[in-house]
Amino acid sequence: MAVSHEVVLERSDRVETIDVPGTETVLDAAERAGIALPFGCLTGACATCVGRLLAGEVHHSRPPRALKDRHLEAGYVLLCIARPRAPCRIRVGADVQSGLVENPWK
Amino acid sequence: MSDADRPTETHADHEHHAAEGPGYATPQAAIEESDPEEVAYVMGLYVGTDVDAPDFLAVVDVDPDSETYTEIVDRVEMPNRGDELHHFGWNACSSSCHVEGLERRHLVVPGQRSSRIHIVDTKERRNPEIVRVIEPEEVFEYDLSAPHTVHCIPDGQIVISMLGNADGELPGGFLELNEEFGIDGRWDPPGEIEMNYDYWYQPRHNVMVSSEWAAPETYYPGFDLEDVEAGKYGRKLHFWNWEEGYVEQTIDLGEEGQIPLEVRFLHSPEAAHGYVGAALSSNVFHFFEEGGEWHAEKVIDIESREHEGWDFPVPGLVTDLLISMDDRYLFFSNWLHGDVRMYDISDPANPRLADRIRAGGYFGDPAPVGDRELAGGPQMLQLSLDGERLYWTTSLFSSWDNQFFPEEGERGSVMLKADVDPRKGTMSLDEEFLVDFGDLPEGPARAHEIRWPDGDCTSDVWQ
Ligand code: FES
Repeated sequence: MAVSHEVVLERSDRVETIDVPGTETVLDAAERAGIALPFGCLTGACATCVGRLLAGEVHHSRPPRALKDRHLEAGYVLLCIARPRAPCRIRVGADVQSGLVENPWK
Repeated sequence: MSDADRPTETHADHEHHAAEGPGYATPQAAIEESDPEEVAYVMGLYVGTDVDAPDFLAVVDVDPDSETYTEIVDRVEMPNRGDELHHFGWNACSSSCHVEGLERRHLVVPGQRSSRIHIVDTKERRNPEIVRVIEPEEVFEYDLSAPHTVHCIPDGQIVISMLGNADGELPGGFLELNEEFGIDGRWDPPGEIEMNYDYWYQPRHNVMVSSEWAAPETYYPGFDLEDVEAGKYGRKLHFWNWEEGYVEQTIDLGEEGQIPLEVRFLHSPEAAHGYVGAALSSNVFHFFEEGGEWHAEKVIDIESREHEGWDFPVPGLVTDLLISMDDRYLFFSNWLHGDVRMYDISDPANPRLADRIRAGGYFGDPAPVGDRELAGGPQMLQLSLDGERLYWTTSLFSSWDNQFFPEEGERGSVMLKADVDPRKGTMSLDEEFLVDFGDLPEGPARAHEIRWPDGDCTSDVWQ
């Protein structure tokens, strides 16, 4: 069952590719490969680790409580609890989090 | 009648001559016996950015006679990334005056996002070190997460307000640590409150008051009006029986009291008066005991302001407030507007605006201090024990900063200072004082809460 999937991590300034076993979260696999992605709670509550799925499929191993329906529909995923189910392309980095909620007064 | 104007109470029922523990016998003694602060401990953050470094405790030189004045002279790096260091506190304060052998020496430094709790030994004031770490899994075992306010309690233990359960949902509660910094268990019966945030206790009145932010899963990702409309943000104050640890009375502050954050009692242990800032409604409430009951009344109302390019009037967002050690002045920050205010509270029910400083925020012109363009508005405040120097930093919470002051992540925070004249009731910005958290080797950092080694206006409680 330990199928690995190729996961392409895209940021504004660089693109990195890692192999993620289906048993591992994207965040853990990135850490292991020496790629530092933002994170906080590691339990799916804070969205610090949020990425945006551009292609492929992931499975959240716990309920992604930090994301609302509109975020899930827009392809946001929580990398601390997301395991790939197919080859993926994911937008990562702190600016993905910044796009999650807007300034409500502006 | 007001008991707020008696800072030098006589302690008829509380003999202090044999005091052996840490701290000062009275608030007045803290003012008279303390030396001016020489170092400040300040939370520095990289969480939520692409800077690959952990959050840190900054040691800032605030001694004007020192060669490294206004510089960060040491940084204690946390062992992990992702903590979001936020509020922190001492293992002991003046409330532990009868606990012999106890020292005000260890800082308890929680990670808001990680739920990890660090113990930092400050024996070497300019070179503190981490001596113990409580890992998140140990905290989750008590079905708690998101540690916030740290207060020592009179018997030498430490209580931490926790904003969520192990999953980052409600209810929150309180975690108790023992003198060796191990987890003792829960302080409160689980489920006594839903939301939690800040708290303060006043032993002579056998009361503790706690406030409400929201569930961690709600506020962690950022501020969403949809959540306000859904009632997911707090607006209540809870008055606890301090000895027994249960809620005796809850006051719903209503529409005008949305998101009550920092709660401060007057320092005089005789006083049954305090204040809380309602961040979202941008009001300050006075709470007090009368006829055996607690009451809360709005005493300061910050009007929202029109801003060019914004669709809706901008609220002030009262994010922090504190009371001077002599209980004469209330200071608070309007983070979005960009001003710090000073009110005379000699008559606690009728605060009178004494002075204000504008710096940063959306209306705080002139924004730059020296050549430094500010990002963010005045936020966490700290006042010298003698009430003459007010300091503040500019970051609120990483994800909320990104929403309201996106430049703060790129430029980093600053720490600023105002000189206060308590006699005249005035403040002036010290243009020479600037600690730049934007200028660190790993990259720009955010700066949050401030504490002094010898106690400050937001950590000490008297029995
Ligand atoms: S780190 Fe908090 S949701 Fe992933």
